[in-house]
Order: sequence, then structure tokens, then C-alpha cells
Amino acid sequence: MANRPSRIIIIDDNPDFLFTMQTFLTRNGFNVETASDGTTGFELIQKHRPDLVMLDVMMESTYSGFEVCRLVRNDPDLKNTPIIGISGMAEELGAKFDIYEDRDYFTPDAFFDKPVDKDALLRKIKDFIS
Amino acid sequence: MNYDNNSELIDLTFKSIIDALPCYIMIQDQNFKILFANQTFKNDFGEDITGKSCYAILKGSHHQCNVCPVRESFNDKGVHIVEETIHLSDIKTIEMIAFSAPLFDAVGNANACIKLLVNVGTIKDSQREFVTLGQSIALLSHDIKNILEGLKGGAYVVEEGMKDHDTQLANRGWEIVSKNISEITRITQNILYSAKKQKPAFKATKPWVIARQAGQLFSEKASSMGVQMLMELNPNVPAMKADQTGISRMLGNLIWNAMQACQKDKVKTKHVIIVRVDFYDNYHFMFEVEDNAQGMEKEIMENLFKEYFTSKGDSGNGLGLMVVDRIVNHHHGRVEVLSKKGAGSLFRAIFRQQDKNLEME
Repeated sequence: MANRPSRIIIIDDNPDFLFTMQTFLTRNGFNVETASDGTTGFELIQKHRPDLVMLDVMMESTYSGFEVCRLVRNDPDLKNTPIIGISGMAEELGAKFDIYEDRDYFTPDAFFDKPVDKDALLRKIKDFIS
Repeated sequence: MNYDNNSELIDLTFKSIIDALPCYIMIQDQNFKILFANQTFKNDFGEDITGKSCYAILKGSHHQCNVCPVRESFNDKGVHIVEETIHLSDIKTIEMIAFSAPLFDAVGNANACIKLLVNVGTIKDSQREFVTLGQSIALLSHDIKNILEGLKGGAYVVEEGMKDHDTQLANRGWEIVSKNISEITRITQNILYSAKKQKPAFKATKPWVIARQAGQLFSEKASSMGVQMLMELNPNVPAMKADQTGISRMLGNLIWNAMQACQKDKVKTKHVIIVRVDFYDNYHFMFEVEDNAQGMEKEIMENLFKEYFTSKGDSGNGLGLMVVDRIVNHHHGRVEVLSKKGAGSLFRAIFRQQDKNLEME
């Protein structure tokens, strides 16, 4: 039986980022779904049980990235889903995310600043999914 | 030389010095009544202040101030320094630093205090500007990072499209690149305008002409975003002496913000931006930019020009509105903002009408 492509869900309110990242990951063999707000994104996660989630930290929506992450971690069926956090705001606002120090309120498995290094991102995704 | 004459001369010299100092000096008794005030103080608050309460004169209040350096100086016989805002008139306040120190008599009793107030309004304004500039720079870097992401991502899509001879994909990539080039251009121009030290050159110019040019600059972009741009320009509004580049930038920033708001609005399917020039009242005229996007929360609207913050997603609003505010102030105008959640927003820049016979240069 052929392996199904790994499924990734990307949640970000920047439509251009969604398009370029979906193009990139699809061309690298992944099945990609996108959502432009946290609410829709979490619904997609619940429906598709993806192999990995890429999540913008701060979005103007009912569910921000923080909230989506929290919901995923609190769901017994979803809690082990690898999450990669993405943001363009962290360092300059003095809020650079530290994966160890900030685990109390935001618990992704990896974090990338924009502009995203695509090669590094691909390596990280393959590490998680393999 | 007669000692008495010398003593009188010394007294006169000291009094002249105290009167000439560019700060307020007063002496108060333990009931905060003013016993003495220097001429600088009297020039601003009147000659007839001896015997009146400090808080009545400086704050227009019937009650002692909650924080009072003079009271503290009487209590502990020490020097105290506080920041105070005093009321120069019903509408004008000044930020001051107040120093107070007790005055001792021959037996060491502090029966009076001297209070000195220095105007720090300009320093406080600069401080506020630095703080908001710092905040704006932090949020600006977020916008720039997103733009870099857009340029890199768009270029990647163009390359992939070209590799696969997929024109549609390449065009989509180019749209993203092009949009982000416009964004970085706009942000750079706003930064450069903000950094300008030279006072702008004012020339006679017709408001409706500037507005028409600004509208034309954005009409194609608006159309590509599915936004209809309408111009309602009253040619009878008389010429104004203005920095034409500045007024164009002001309108450009307002139009761009309106376009961004329309693009973000996923509820309405048809978006319209109206650019207007018209009379505001008998003495003023106005530029208006109105959109029918989703409008703003009251809290955001009230803070728009207080802090040059941009809420995440309103990319570049902060710096753009800071520049708008600065340009309007340069022209001695004011900005009004009207917004209704779900309906849209209207930004209005109001200026005083000038000589109807102003000659165009």
C-alpha cells in the first residue's frame, strides 16, 4: 500500500504567506491545508488530524496562535501533534520566544521567525514527521 | 561708600535676578498661602496673588494637592522634587518639575518653604516622541519582516512557475512580489518623511488638484484589489498654502489604510473608498477618506493618534498615521476620525481656509 503524503495544516492570517508556503510544501511532497484564522484552523485540525501544524503566533481572530496551541495540547487525541510556531514580531518587541523558558503559555515544538528559512523549515518538518 | 546704600544695591540686584529667572519661584507659608512670587510667576498668573493658596493659583482647585512637595518639606524639613501639571488657563496646561525646600528662621523653625517650578513640557514631548518612536520601530520591524517574507516567498513562486512553464503560477508569484514592493516603498517613504529635519516649503495649491492626483495614484491598485475608488472634489474650495508633497503623502497614507481595511474585510463583497474635498464650515475646508470596510472598535479609534500603535494585521497603520498627524500639525489643521463597527471608517483632515485670492505659483 502506497504511503499517503503527510498532512500539514498552516494557520496564518497573511494570505500571501499561506500561498507561498503551501506551494513550497506541496512541491516537497506534503498534503497541505490552510486556514486564515485560528477558529477555522482548529476546526481543520480536529477534522483532519494532521501530521504537523504550522501556526502564526498572533492573529486577529477569536483564537490566536496561543489559543490554538493550548486547545491542541489540551485535546487528548491531538496533544502530541508537532506544532511549529511562526512569527514576525517576537524579537523586536522583547518577546523572543524561548522554547524552554516560555513553555508555560506557548508550547510549540519549534519556532521560526519570519522571513522563514525554507530549507531549515523543511529539515525540521522532516525531523518531526519521520 | 555708604554701607546702607550697598545693602540696598545688593537687595535690588538679587531681586532683579530672582525676577528675571526663567522659572517660577514662590515662597509659601504652612497653609500654602503665597507670601512671595517672582515676576516671571506674576507675568503668567497676575500681580494679585500674594495671600492666595498655591493650589488655587496653579491648579484652579479648592483643595490641597494629593502629592505636594511643600507639605513634605514642612513635614521632614527636606528637599522634595515632583512632576506637576499646572493650569495656565482653562485650556492650557504645562508640565513642570517642582522643587521645594524649607526656609529656616534664626532658631531653626521652618515657617516657610520656597518652591521653584521649571517648565519641562518640551522635554516631556520629546520623551513621549522617543517612546512612541521606539514602539513604532518595534512594530515597523514586524511589517518589514512580513514584507521580506512576501518578497522571498513570491520570488520562490515565480521561479517555480518559470521552471514548470506555468505562467499562471509565475504570475501569482509576481503579484505577491509586486504587492510587497509597493508596501516597502510606502513604508520607506514614510520613514524618510518622518526623519526629515528641513521645514517643508509651502506653496499655493488647490486642494482638489492634490486629492485628484492622490486618487489617481491609487486607482489602479484599488481596482486590482476589487475596491471602487470615487472622488467627490469641490473645485470651489480655495487654494491653500501647503507642502504639496506632505498633503499628497497624508492622503496617500489614508487611502492606503482604507484599501488595507477593505482587503481585510471578508464580510462585505463590494468595497468603496470615497476621497472628498469640500468646505467644512464657513472658515474651514476638509479632505476626507471614507471606506465601507468593517470599521474600528471604539477603543482602537480613541487611541489611534495618542499612541502610534498598529494592531497586528493593520500593517503599517502606526507609522502612516503618525506621518498623517505630523503633516496635519505642520499645516495647523486637525484630524477627526469617525468609525462604526461593521459599517466603515472616515478620516477627516480639517484646515483653515486661506485668502481666496491666493496666487497660484
